[in-house]
Amino acid sequence: MIDRPTGKMPSGALVFTLILFLLSSDHARALPPFPTKHCVECHDSITKKGGLDLTNLQSNLADPDTFALWVKIHDRVERGEMPPGKNRRPNPAETSSYLESLAKTIMAEESRRFQGQGRTITRRLTRSEYENTVRDLFDMPGIALQGLLPADGSAHGFDNNSDALDISHVNLAKYVEAADLTLDLAIATRPVAPISRKRRISLANRGGFIAHIIMNGDGVLLKDKKPDPDFPPAGEQNHLDQGAHERMGSFSNGSSVGLFRHEDESVSPYFMEHVTIYPGMYRVRTSLWSFQWDKGTVLPSRGTEAARLSVVQLTGDGRGGQHPSYVLGYYDAPSMVSQEHEVTTWLNANEIIGFNTASLAPVANYARKGRAMAFTGPGIACDWLDVEGPLHTAWPPTSHKTLFDNLPMAEFKISEGKTTPRPPQRKQIRQIGAGMNRPDPSPGIFTVQSNQPLADADQLLARFLPKAFRRPVPLDVRNAYVNKVADRLKAGDCFESAMRWAYRAALCSPDFLYHVEPANKLDDHALASRLSYLFWNSMPDNRLTELANANTLHLPTTLRAEVERLLKDPRSQRFVSDFTGQWLKLRQIAANDPDRQLYPEFSPYLQDSMVAESRAYFQEIIDRNLGASYLVQSDFVIVNGKLATHYGIHGVSGAKPRRVPLPKDCPRGGFLTQAAVMKVTANGTTTSPVPRGAFVLERILGERPEPPPPNVPAVEPDVRGTSTIREQLAKHRSDSSCAACHAKMDPPGFALESFDVIGGYRARYRSIGVGDKAERGSIDPFIGINFKLGPTVDPSGILPDNKSFKDIKELQTHLAADPDRLLRNLAMQLAVYGTGRPIAFSDRKQINGIVSNTRNNGGGIRTLLHELVQSPLFQTR
Amino acid sequence: MNYGITKTFQRNHRVWLWCCVACACVFLTSQEIHADETRMAVRITGLFSPDRAKELREIVSTWPGITLSKLDFDRAEAIFTWDNTKFFSKLQPAQIVARLDDTLRSDSSHTFGVKPASTTPGEQLVKIDIPVVGLDCKACCLAAYEIVARIDGVEQATASFKDGRITARIDSKRTSKSALEAALKERGVTLRNP
Repeated sequence: MIDRPTGKMPSGALVFTLILFLLSSDHARALPPFPTKHCVECHDSITKKGGLDLTNLQSNLADPDTFALWVKIHDRVERGEMPPGKNRRPNPAETSSYLESLAKTIMAEESRRFQGQGRTITRRLTRSEYENTVRDLFDMPGIALQGLLPADGSAHGFDNNSDALDISHVNLAKYVEAADLTLDLAIATRPVAPISRKRRISLANRGGFIAHIIMNGDGVLLKDKKPDPDFPPAGEQNHLDQGAHERMGSFSNGSSVGLFRHEDESVSPYFMEHVTIYPGMYRVRTSLWSFQWDKGTVLPSRGTEAARLSVVQLTGDGRGGQHPSYVLGYYDAPSMVSQEHEVTTWLNANEIIGFNTASLAPVANYARKGRAMAFTGPGIACDWLDVEGPLHTAWPPTSHKTLFDNLPMAEFKISEGKTTPRPPQRKQIRQIGAGMNRPDPSPGIFTVQSNQPLADADQLLARFLPKAFRRPVPLDVRNAYVNKVADRLKAGDCFESAMRWAYRAALCSPDFLYHVEPANKLDDHALASRLSYLFWNSMPDNRLTELANANTLHLPTTLRAEVERLLKDPRSQRFVSDFTGQWLKLRQIAANDPDRQLYPEFSPYLQDSMVAESRAYFQEIIDRNLGASYLVQSDFVIVNGKLATHYGIHGVSGAKPRRVPLPKDCPRGGFLTQAAVMKVTANGTTTSPVPRGAFVLERILGERPEPPPPNVPAVEPDVRGTSTIREQLAKHRSDSSCAACHAKMDPPGFALESFDVIGGYRARYRSIGVGDKAERGSIDPFIGINFKLGPTVDPSGILPDNKSFKDIKELQTHLAADPDRLLRNLAMQLAVYGTGRPIAFSDRKQINGIVSNTRNNGGGIRTLLHELVQSPLFQTR
Repeated sequence: MNYGITKTFQRNHRVWLWCCVACACVFLTSQEIHADETRMAVRITGLFSPDRAKELREIVSTWPGITLSKLDFDRAEAIFTWDNTKFFSKLQPAQIVARLDDTLRSDSSHTFGVKPASTTPGEQLVKIDIPVVGLDCKACCLAAYEIVARIDGVEQATASFKDGRITARIDSKRTSKSALEAALKERGVTLRNP
């Protein structure tokens, strides 16, 4: 680490010059005066400021540590951090000359290192890339495979980086498992599609949790927007015996279910009567409204509430998975008016639909005196839920045709007296849990028929392999797969089983699992893959493949048109969520649960709204080609009713995020102030300027902070309210080994102290010890408050370039004033994500070129994406 | 045809046969199961309120060929009639009761059932009355009814959420009011203080 010098004149200049001579004779000739005059005095073997002794620095740049150190020296001199400000400043021409020479030496070493190999090491697909590739290859848009595979690592901020994508025997075993599951689902096993059925389900369905809690006052049955006369709300006594009520039809008489309680550790609202048997597309419709309950009377509600529909994977015994596998969406429940919502989604076997009264505060009348008849508060009513499916527009499905084209299907019959060919294996279809839907009668064993198996195998594989491998497949490779089929046919397999061997082998082969790219400049097929994995997180589609086949994809106009097409496709949502999930660490949004005493207003709905905002904001920046300043500052936010309330913005209701102009003096705008970013940079209980400042440096400004030195204890914020984090950090910074980095990290972190661990704005810290009584503010009146108000937040600071700010708004203005810096960082983040490798020293020139071209073309982020794709950096391995 | 049996014996035999038939009739009467060709008296479970009688009739009306010819709500007894050539022709009385029970349970979502008619003499039965609070709806009444009806010695019971009352006709040799109250309390029914 380089630190502030004492101000003495250089004493080890000669040694430093000698070292530089050793690095390169060309280099050394240009260098001597600079380090002699400005560096060695503090970084000799005696003073060794920041632990750096230039006089003993290794000259061998082939050593990665030495190389990294020289890059760091270059960067700190380039940024003007070294020599430190209070020293005599070097002549700019002198600095420039030195930097140019040092850069040449570093690049020469890099060039030697990269010689003969691509810059991106051959890397496998990430879990999400694998899943999306299979989904698109077989047109099975919801098949769940990620959960089967081991978690990916992460390097340089992203999981698709070649440095992180190692592979083990565990991966291989899991790939075989995933390939088998894929083929099980893809291959049609019946002559006609499973019968599509429509089932209307009450939330208080048989076997579910809801009937039980309604009987105990956490909900009511409603008819015509009034209490159901045949099922009075539970009052002093609860209703007796759920089974008796189910048998008497209390919950199946068409009544709506009104709930006051939401999902928690002991209540998991599910629509249990549909448990998916046949994976496929299903149409899910529901009817929702909200009301105010007043001890037995239904009144108009306080506004539009929000309910969540989710998908839950039942465990093997059908007893429920407790937590949603994924959220289908949040849906409006307007006051006293039923609103229907429809979503068509893929459901896997054993998946059910879950429900949650998302916008309600945690309330439980269960075992409370008077139960529902003593309760006044908001409720959400679900009239019904329809599940219709599986929906098939054609049979056999596309997935089957991908494997077997139009080969006919027929009942499998074995000739009398023969034992071969063996029939294909079929899994028994069964229903689990409390599902009322039933499997169709078994049609027998149906399978594809081929009169000329090897010829058909060759034809099918000639069609499948190039698509799966994302490039043309040589004849010898194809023949190897055909030979596998021939071997299995000889061994007695039927045609389907023999082909399955080949397909499974293909799905587990390096050709499928890895991004295979030629060294140096990418050919059009590799370019098509880079494009599609960047913007779709998946394989190229037919259009990209056709352009690659025609060798025209690389043409600048074609590329521009394709980037536009890819960005406009709904699949680009994957890019938005995958990139922001890693760049802004949104994947870590649920890494901690905020302290319930300090932040009682936090809820999963608020958390999901936070993530939705950050994604939608990034999408808006791309869609409208907004400039880099919007990364840190804007005059609008994209929020739903829940988040708007959290932000103190009035007049927004409903579950859907939308663009809302910011009121004057609202301390929001840009990623820096978004609740999701504030949450992922806090620990759930306290905030600290250090991790938040480090986040701003690394993720927004593109300057990776040094890791903390060993044996320095972390600063633990004080939730008792006796001292502020700023006071604690002041002590910490008195240690000179910490001061240099903290001078850069802490200031933006101080400004972000205006936001608590869930992204709420604060003028004072919350405390569970000493402090003043807290006002409720925008917190739901049904949420109890126990925290107090502690010390006042001081969000002011001074940036390393001596610009001072008094609050977050002024910091935003400072940061927005340097759009090139913001663009440069985003260009680097996107380049790392898009190429799967870190930015090398020699890439900087290209990054600067991308930034410069973007600036000259208006400075928009969409333009930046175009410039990145057009650059040699993107088009070279 | 004479198989070598004396007339006296034949006469005695005839007498003995008539005695057997008479005994059988007495037995069957005492069981209150009239296993004549097309009729049978049985006990109905789940008949806890007068409006349930209507529901029972509606269910049985959907059964082709079987009729609910008499229903005594106070004793929870019913008489079914049917065409013996079409139904239950080879079944024993107990099997007929079981078959009726299965069918009625299935068609009533297990809220009604059939049992053999009571064998306890009427004078041995005691009517008891248990005031309760918190029966909110008809299904709660079914639940409370089932709590007491399952107890050995309870021959008939009712439950009413309107009156807040559970009644039962019990065989005092086999159970007692306190036993019923204890069972109700154990299952969460709050007894009203007298």
